[in-house]
Amino acid sequence: MSIQDQRKLIEAIHPFGLLSKQRMDALMQKIDIAYYPSKTLLISGSISSIAFYIIIKGSVTEYIDDEVHNVYGAGDSFDADALIYGNTKAKFIVEEDLICYEIKKDDFLDLMQDKHVQSYFLQDFITRHKQLKDYDAQSELSPFLISKVSDIFLHVACVVEANESIHSALERQEELGAKVIIVKEENGYSIVTDTDLRKKVLLGDNNLGKDISTIATKGVIAVEINDFLFNALLLMTHNSIKRVVVKDGTEIVGVLEQLDLLSYFASHSHLVAVQIDKAQKMDDLKAIGHDFKNLIITLRAKGVKVRYITKLIAALNEKVYKKLFEMSVPLELRDKCALIVMGSEGREEQMIRSDQDNALIIKDGVEVELFREPMMRLNGYLLELGFPKCAGNVMVSNEFWRRNTSSYKTLIGKWTYNMSDESVRNLSIFLDAKCIAGDCALLYELKNYLHTVFHARDDVLAHVAKAVLNFETPLSLFSGFVIEKERNDKLDLKKGGIFALVHGIRTLSLQYEIKATNTIERIKELNNIGVIDKTFATELIESFDTLNAIRLKATLEAKSVDEGNSINPRNLEKNQRDLLKDSFKVINKFKKFMSFHFHLNMVV
Amino acid sequence: MFDFFSKLKVNANRKNLKNRNFEFLFEEDLSGEYVVFDTETTGLNPKEDEILSIGAVKIKDNKILTSQTFEVFLKNSKEINSKSIKIHGIRPFDLRDAKTTKEGIVEFLNFVGSRPLVGYYLEFDVSMINKYMKPLLGITLPNRMIEVSEIYFDKTISLIPQGNIDLRFDTILKNCSIPNMGVHNAVNDAIMTAMIYLKLTKGK
Repeated sequence: MSIQDQRKLIEAIHPFGLLSKQRMDALMQKIDIAYYPSKTLLISGSISSIAFYIIIKGSVTEYIDDEVHNVYGAGDSFDADALIYGNTKAKFIVEEDLICYEIKKDDFLDLMQDKHVQSYFLQDFITRHKQLKDYDAQSELSPFLISKVSDIFLHVACVVEANESIHSALERQEELGAKVIIVKEENGYSIVTDTDLRKKVLLGDNNLGKDISTIATKGVIAVEINDFLFNALLLMTHNSIKRVVVKDGTEIVGVLEQLDLLSYFASHSHLVAVQIDKAQKMDDLKAIGHDFKNLIITLRAKGVKVRYITKLIAALNEKVYKKLFEMSVPLELRDKCALIVMGSEGREEQMIRSDQDNALIIKDGVEVELFREPMMRLNGYLLELGFPKCAGNVMVSNEFWRRNTSSYKTLIGKWTYNMSDESVRNLSIFLDAKCIAGDCALLYELKNYLHTVFHARDDVLAHVAKAVLNFETPLSLFSGFVIEKERNDKLDLKKGGIFALVHGIRTLSLQYEIKATNTIERIKELNNIGVIDKTFATELIESFDTLNAIRLKATLEAKSVDEGNSINPRNLEKNQRDLLKDSFKVINKFKKFMSFHFHLNMVV
Repeated sequence: MFDFFSKLKVNANRKNLKNRNFEFLFEEDLSGEYVVFDTETTGLNPKEDEILSIGAVKIKDNKILTSQTFEVFLKNSKEINSKSIKIHGIRPFDLRDAKTTKEGIVEFLNFVGSRPLVGYYLEFDVSMINKYMKPLLGITLPNRMIEVSEIYFDKTISLIPQGNIDLRFDTILKNCSIPNMGVHNAVNDAIMTAMIYLKLTKGK
């Protein structure tokens, strides 16, 4: 650890890497190394902070009101706030023997003259969080440069022999739904586009019995299937054409349309949506399933916020549900019921098909049994498409979730006084219900009823809200110490963070009769009516996005769905770890808010 | 009694001092600081080998004052043999701005003053310094010496009596859970030795 080594270590810590060479030189002259044995109280209300600490080894826990607020490990630094504002409510205690760099208070405040450092430390949570995220996004490879022709949807190529008549070639084109006709000639290929047909047939000699090759344009511009999409785009732009033929060696395998290419780069979603609409049978829908995952991967790599990805996926899934509903329910029954999805699907927050929660509401006066057969079929289709079976059996195939309106009302009534775990769980699932097909008025009626019976029932609400405190926020897991000791090096994102947030917001929404089902929209609504303030709302939204982003990344890399929920913080990059830690801090703040709001300390 | 003898020894040493400007080495230390130092040499024989570089750092209370690091490279009379280059990584090229041994030793003594010295196998480093100091000033380093491997031994033997205690530098680093981050050079080794010293004396 000569001066050079120390310098490298400090430069690796954001935002010190942004310092100019001169400032860095000056800083290196001012840094000392300090040692503190465990249990040392470094900073507290009465011991004001004298230095800025950067941890080389060991860990420090920050307590606010005797609760763990944050844990700092190697590479972390603290505490700018205590230095800048002169005092702090927090207590910093050495957890594991600490070796750290110290920058003295005055030197640190000097350093704050640098605008990078200043903006980093003076920012509130939200801006800092965004800055860290941006910093993170820089490292992602641009998918624009790495997507290949084989990644995209290709249209079927309509290839005909040179001596085929124009008429039969056009028939064949129609049959395949192709945009152009490719003519196989003796030495290579030629192409017939709509322009050729207009100019050479409609405006020329309109004899459809002639050989197709007589109206074809010689020479075909082609791209290799393994080539980059970017090159295909260049080819189109260069030759001002709207499509290129795709070849695998000498064989033509399809046609790449400019529209598809552009929409692939735009979002790729347009393609999937069109395919769902076009689907005639189950096999078509099955083929699309694969595209979903690709779509998620592409969008994520482009840096699209996870909340927009999930919304898009929800919209696409809704299309699939609608299609299946049409395929299984006879026309005359369709407006006598409402198909609803609940849980994560209802909140539009499901990314990977992890679960299905759905139910059917049947209009009063219509025979419930009429729907048994169609719903069994619908459930079968869903399973066939890879929607996993619901572990809690919350599916239309279960009689419990296939009732008429009045029967649902009885059920809701039960939820208000029966406080069993099962009731709370069913209520929670139902609160997220969203109507997807059929007569949606049926669901609205039930939602209104739900809000009426829960009106002013804060006692029941508190009971429901209590679950927020069920799992401890795993902040302490960030200390390498704890992980090693417990040999359980994974951290559960869902239990530790996402659940508390989703469930808390859901309960608040029930109390304030908010109709939205999406967590982020609910947060915005709660902010609009003044239950939580603007800053807190944004903090919650950003944290939720971060947790989901990290979870999504883990899920895409994991082998099973459950595996995606748990991550090892040590495998995360420093920035990701900081983002995660910040998010958990917000979750803790939210838990406190909930405890206070529902007086949870008084609920047993 | 022991104190008395060591005082006698110091006084005898002091009488030999040729240059009055270096009286400060014998004055009582009031800084409350310690100096940890390490040398890189051409070999392990103080009689034949020479110093290539000296690295030192001060300790005060629980802090290693890396802001006041001392590092000097010294000119040598002989070619550096290729075997030792592999250990200390100092190539003839690195010594192009090196100081004469006289300049280097004087700078070092000014940095150290009368502060106690801390090191790992300090005896070797001290005898290397003395080798140059004796002809120059007529004296040997008069400072109090603190050997970290000795403190480590005392602390560890109470846990495993009759045990064989591994006193290798890397083993001590590992057992004190001190990060071994840099390559071996005089300053690095001094800083790591300082960490060991703090851990052993300030830890619980």
